[in-house]
Amino acid sequence: MNSLAGISHGVQSPAPTIADRSIDDAGKPAAKILIRNLNFYYGDNKALKSINVPLYERKVTAFIGPSGCGKSTLLRILNRIYSLYPHQRAEGDVLLDGANILDPGQDLNLLRARIGMVFQKPTPFPMSIYENIAFGVRLFEKLSRAEIDERVQSALRRAAIWDEVKDKLQANGLSLSGGQQQRLCIARTVALRPEVILLDEPCSALDPISTAKIEELIDELKDDYTIAIVTHNMQQAARVSDYTAFMYLGELVEFDTTSKMFTSPGDRRTQDYITGRFG
Amino acid sequence: MVDMALSANAEASAAAMSRTKVLGRLRARDLVFRHLTRAAAILVLIILSGVIIALIEGSLPALQAFGFDFLLEERWNPVTEKFGALAPIYGTLVTSFIAMLIAVPLGLLIALFLTELCPMWLRRPIGIAIELLAGIPSIIYGIWGLFVFAPFLQRTLQPVLIDWFENVPILSSLFEGPPYGIGILTASLILAIMVLPFVTSISRDVFEAVPPVLKEAAYGVGCTTWEVLRHVVLPYARVGVVGGVMLSLGRALGETMAVTFVIGNAHKVSASILAPGTTISATIANEFTEAVGDLYTSSLIALGLILFVITFIVLAAARLLLLRLEKRVG
Amino acid sequence: MDRYAWRRLRNSIVITLSIGATALGLGWLILILGSLVYEGLSGLSLAVFTQMTPPPGADGGLLNPIIGSLILTVLAILIGTPIGMLAGTYMAEYGKFAKLTVVVRFINDILLSAPSIVVGLFVYEILVAPMGHFSGWAGAVALALIVIPVVVRTTEDMLSLVPKELRESATALGLPLAHVIRYVSYRAALAGIITGVLLAVARISGETAPLLFTALNNQFFSTNLNAPISSLPVVIFQFALSPYEDWQKLAWIGALIITFAVLALSITARALSASRKSP
Repeated sequence: MNSLAGISHGVQSPAPTIADRSIDDAGKPAAKILIRNLNFYYGDNKALKSINVPLYERKVTAFIGPSGCGKSTLLRILNRIYSLYPHQRAEGDVLLDGANILDPGQDLNLLRARIGMVFQKPTPFPMSIYENIAFGVRLFEKLSRAEIDERVQSALRRAAIWDEVKDKLQANGLSLSGGQQQRLCIARTVALRPEVILLDEPCSALDPISTAKIEELIDELKDDYTIAIVTHNMQQAARVSDYTAFMYLGELVEFDTTSKMFTSPGDRRTQDYITGRFG
Repeated sequence: MVDMALSANAEASAAAMSRTKVLGRLRARDLVFRHLTRAAAILVLIILSGVIIALIEGSLPALQAFGFDFLLEERWNPVTEKFGALAPIYGTLVTSFIAMLIAVPLGLLIALFLTELCPMWLRRPIGIAIELLAGIPSIIYGIWGLFVFAPFLQRTLQPVLIDWFENVPILSSLFEGPPYGIGILTASLILAIMVLPFVTSISRDVFEAVPPVLKEAAYGVGCTTWEVLRHVVLPYARVGVVGGVMLSLGRALGETMAVTFVIGNAHKVSASILAPGTTISATIANEFTEAVGDLYTSSLIALGLILFVITFIVLAAARLLLLRLEKRVG
Repeated sequence: MDRYAWRRLRNSIVITLSIGATALGLGWLILILGSLVYEGLSGLSLAVFTQMTPPPGADGGLLNPIIGSLILTVLAILIGTPIGMLAGTYMAEYGKFAKLTVVVRFINDILLSAPSIVVGLFVYEILVAPMGHFSGWAGAVALALIVIPVVVRTTEDMLSLVPKELRESATALGLPLAHVIRYVSYRAALAGIITGVLLAVARISGETAPLLFTALNNQFFSTNLNAPISSLPVVIFQFALSPYEDWQKLAWIGALIITFAVLALSITARALSASRKSP
């Protein structure tokens, strides 16, 4: 557990202060993504209410809360995947390295190449294991056959699945077990060299052993990537994350270091939730 | 942001640059593809409007020559160039009506058998067989009807019907005349066999969409299979069944080959359903290539227009009903 | 009779009727196939596939209509499938939420069941009349107009069955939609779309009405698409209604060939879609 003692701040304080702090407070990690005063609507239904939260660079931030609290919705804003659907819109600021990704002029393809996402259900593409990873790389970069092989291998290694698939790279991605499929999806994301990785309940469809492997993997990946993970499993949040945000009914109730959140939460609702009184 | 290492920064921005370039190219292709698919979708609309426009344009000479009387005139005389659509319209409506009268109850009963009574292992084979029946081209029904079914009816059913109803008022005129074999009734029966698979498979789908809990609840209070069908399944599935029946009716109205073989091709409105008659599609199929003179051709196209308008209305109504059902289920 | 016995009796009647109806429905299938085999099989010989249609009273086969039907069918599929697939792709992908899609879906469903003889009239008006003569091209276009709605419908249905997560995760890699469609959606929906095309082939290989006054017929062997061309259904129509017994015989043989071709196609299509459901 990486505990960053001494760095804790509640989120109830007005929005600008978080932004200020992430810049001026020396010794504190920089915010890779800064969410300021974010509202989200499904049609007329307001799903997120003035969310303010930073995602610190090369740290794991977990989002917890009962189902329907808006944690997945929040994650789906960060790579603008919600833009696929009509009647969904976001208001406010989501600053990635200082630039607002909600800007209408934002290049969505470029943004999504920088911010990778892994979904709840493993989603291998209907093609070989090798192609699953290679085809995205090939589209974005002109590489030689050997370079692509290299990239595929390193991505599979990075996702800790190389040893299991190195002898059957031409097998269909769907032939893998659920846990392997999910790691393949992580490898696919990593192969495009993103800066941020979003994990939307990546273990909810997996057995405990596969879950442990993914958690281990997350711990390794954070050396290079900024990671946000949505989970309904509080133990998981406690195990893998550096920071935790607790959301409830579309609001961000509390944000702090994970150790602080799980030992002495500031808000009554957070305490009720992590002690299992609801959710 | 601020404390990003310089080298990493440079590398990242170089990567971003090259990606932007690549993406520009990919997006150009995306744009082309998007417009291509959109154009194809619009083409579907153009086809339909093209059909309507071409039919209207082609039938103008006939409609100008005969006006509204075209619909009510029974005579169809290529020699004197006097054309009226009454007999084919009548034949189309009557054959389809009789066909539905037979196919709908049969189709509902088969759907009931498939959803409620049939043992599980038999459901798939029978379902597939019924659907294969739907896939057989209509010309096969036609040739079978002409060589097998019509002579059979001439020997068996038709004399019996004539005998039975000989002294029954009203009905006697319905079953009057010599048993030709071919005629309105034979065409209707062939049509019934043809649309039966459609009615069955749509009814089955609609029956299966009834939530099992509803049926279980009804069985639970002691209802018989018939009562469950009558009081639970049918009320629930009513809209879908009506939609499916109209869809099948649309098929029956426009069916050409099966009917052409066995209807007898007589431009005549007879009271007897044993008499030969004609339908719109049979008239067009039989006479179009031999039609000489603009007025003759134009009259046939006008028939096509009438057929298209009738089926369009029936099919549109069917789709709207089914759409309403989907919304309720979805 | 008491009320309960009456209810039981009524129920038995309905059950008997329903079993009887099913037997009747299946009986027709057996009866029709039976007479086809009985009438057609005896005349089926190699000569049918190697000789031209004869004048009345002479020996002959069905070579020219068989070749003609194959040419017309292949052309119609080549014209109709790309257009249908593109339109279906628009409806399921680019224009999923567009008003145009709702309208096109409605119109397409009507074209799907529209009388095929009207399609023949339409093609006569736009191609045959202006060109001044019947032609193979006109026949192919008429059949293509029947293929299009079938392919539009299956493409849209099959693409809509592709899990939204799969599309989202391809999009989350930063791919433009065209690439998501090509590499992910099409691959996932491929078996289904092929099934649809096969069913379209089955549908047009027996279509007669739209060919009567577009491709017309040709007693001689011809592959010239600018001239009238022979086809099996039209030959069956002509020969069956002729007074000559040997022509009628050939009509039966043609009917047998078409029926088995169509049944084989539908069964293959069904097997294909069944294998897709249980990989």
